[in-house]
Amino acid sequence: MSIHRTQEVLYETEAALRLVDHGLHGLRDDAPDIEPAPFTPTHRGGLSELPAILERANAQILGVLSRLRETRAAIESTALEKLASTHEKIREVTSATEDAAINIMDACDRASQMVDELDCIDAEPTPDRERALVVRGGLRDELFLMMGALQFQDITSQQLAHASAVLVEMETRLIDVARLFDANADVGEQHHPEHDAPDAQTYDPNATTRDPEARQALADEIFTAVRAPAA
Amino acid sequence: MKFLVVDDSATMRRIVVNSLQRIGFTNTVEAGDGQEALARFDASVTFVITDWNMPNMSGTDFTRALRARPDGATVPVLMVTARSVKEDILTAMEAGVNNYIVKPFTPQVLKEKIDALLPAAAA
Repeated sequence: MSIHRTQEVLYETEAALRLVDHGLHGLRDDAPDIEPAPFTPTHRGGLSELPAILERANAQILGVLSRLRETRAAIESTALEKLASTHEKIREVTSATEDAAINIMDACDRASQMVDELDCIDAEPTPDRERALVVRGGLRDELFLMMGALQFQDITSQQLAHASAVLVEMETRLIDVARLFDANADVGEQHHPEHDAPDAQTYDPNATTRDPEARQALADEIFTAVRAPAA
Repeated sequence: MKFLVVDDSATMRRIVVNSLQRIGFTNTVEAGDGQEALARFDASVTFVITDWNMPNMSGTDFTRALRARPDGATVPVLMVTARSVKEDILTAMEAGVNNYIVKPFTPQVLKEKIDALLPAAAA
């Protein structure tokens, strides 16, 4: 269920409970003024005690409403931003994967053409060894480029680890919400999502494949500006 | 020249080691995290290339521990990491890193940074 839908449900619940609250007030107004008596399951005071019982029910409902509002605010303030950032990370993973695949395929195409060119050189009556040497050098460059393109794997795995950590955090929060309504709820008793969370030390939440040149330039600028420790 | 390459990603270790071979450095030893790197480091290692985010011991903690050792106080340390915000770069410098490469990197950048630190490594 999306956050927006969750909010709608909360608003609808709140509205329904307000209607109940209004109805309860109406019942109380119609009843004679009496002091609420403590409720016990065995105590049977008849309809005259109903307003007091409903009064307590009303107070409990208002308490639940208050906690619902607090929960909604907490979810809204913390979850929305994180989920949006996670969504962006996952989109970047898709994009980085596609970019790497295209780069590798392009390099494969160029390498294949170079192999064809080497075949042509070999087929000549007097093979041009110097030209073949240049083509082989280019072929090695292309193969190396393919390997370099695989760096996306390390970065995207960090992005996915971050996304996984956010989802685990959301799961924990939802379990907390469930317990808010029923402290004895067994949800999460056997399952501890925090145990599944990736080790925060193993990934950078800001890891990205974008703008490597600009980010390298920033690092160079800082190392130039601040004297690096003498090696 | 003997390089110690530290990264928890086997893919990245392989890319760095292949890049080193391509620019003429074939003597390498690998480690999957800072703890393993500390265990593998000895006086024969003349250059360290390390990642930042790793399990058990991060690249910055590893560098600090290395700098505290008599045999690791002056060895050149090049950090290769996806982290690239200013605070991170400054933290790496404070830990004792000599230069910094942002992932994804090109072999040219790796060569430039190694070349710049080679005099220190040879000393």
